[in-house]
Amino acid sequence: MRRAYFIFVLFAVSLSACYEPLTEIPEETVGLAPVYAEGEWQTIESGPPQGIVELNKIYYKDSLIFVGEAQRGIHVIDNRDPAQPEPIAFISITGNSDIAIKGNVLFANNLSDLVALDISDVRNVSVISRTPGVFPASGLELPAGYTGFFECPDPNMGSIVGWSEKNLIRPECWR
Amino acid sequence: MMKKILIALIGLGILAGCAESSDSASLVAPSGTGIGGSLARFTILGDFLYTVDNTRLVTIDISEPEAPEPVDETVVTQGVETIFPLKDHLLLGTQRGLFIYRVQSNGVPAYVSSYEHIVSCDPVVANENYAYVTLRAAGCREAAAGAANTLDIVNIQNIEDPQLVNSFAMESPYGLGLDGQTLFVCEGINGLRVFDLSSPEAPQEIKYLSDINAVDVIPLQGTLLVVGPDRLLQLDYTDLDNITVLSEITIGA
Repeated sequence: MRRAYFIFVLFAVSLSACYEPLTEIPEETVGLAPVYAEGEWQTIESGPPQGIVELNKIYYKDSLIFVGEAQRGIHVIDNRDPAQPEPIAFISITGNSDIAIKGNVLFANNLSDLVALDISDVRNVSVISRTPGVFPASGLELPAGYTGFFECPDPNMGSIVGWSEKNLIRPECWR
Repeated sequence: MMKKILIALIGLGILAGCAESSDSASLVAPSGTGIGGSLARFTILGDFLYTVDNTRLVTIDISEPEAPEPVDETVVTQGVETIFPLKDHLLLGTQRGLFIYRVQSNGVPAYVSSYEHIVSCDPVVANENYAYVTLRAAGCREAAAGAANTLDIVNIQNIEDPQLVNSFAMESPYGLGLDGQTLFVCEGINGLRVFDLSSPEAPQEIKYLSDINAVDVIPLQGTLLVVGPDRLLQLDYTDLDNITVLSEITIGA
């Protein structure tokens, strides 16, 4: 797999003078990572709090901290007492990388779709709307026109349902 | 009979009301927007959600959350990284520099100006007068030869003509946060720096917390949320001479 990408990279470099040859792999960079199928990727629901595995970005509103779990969803932490933050829910959103909240509506990317969620009860969110294709990062193939690093697909992880942005540590694939 | 049911219903209502008020279920107020970190790629201004990806700035009308409507798509440049709202302007941190857009009355952003620099990685925060931009070459794939790690201060009093007024050497700057006269700059594994902005063009470093691995921050009027790769930390900075740890949530199973 890796060799195939390497050859592809060489090919791409030879094709385009704009591409600089890869001289070093960065310690950390933003790039795309495959999202593997875990049930229905459109399913969005609240569940009990979970431990944070891979911290993405945070967002704050009304004493709640929304902590991104890379590509999987959002931890909700009750922060009315900053000395004792209390995780209260996990909202699963496949392929999520960013959110913003207005009132009690949370907007998030769910792979390539924009979803609006009613979070007036964060333990029981509901989908208000789904706008397909706002973010061009779905499908098995890397999004057309993407250049940059990406996480090498792992065939042992199952089938890929799409790609999403992620902080990558020493990524070895790129184009 | 009816009366009994009514009384029972009222009783239930009171009970439910009590349960709710002692619970954190409905903490989210029905108005206002939240606050993102400086590495955010989504932001909301008025009735519009603005998102950036690698090259584009997308505008989505969210006046009706039941039917959000993408209304505009603007190609900005290669390597768009962050978006920061400033009144009716959007400040985009890109690998080529700071790009400023003004939101028009129809919500669609129009290009105003840019401050371009050597290619590197760079989020931005700003107040009405100055934008604070960190440029990171360390661990930044796209960084051009000669790119440095700096904190750049850009005068945006004339937003149509941003001017670099000062630049400070840093080690590996990531996200940053602004609270009035105080600027927090994350240096990744190299810690967290706190600057006093009494002289906005010549920040004074007043604190260096070298043992915190900080990637991004959100200042909340005395409480600083610090995102690191390994923990979510909260600091009390009401006394800048004595910044204390309030709590931390560690990461990893």
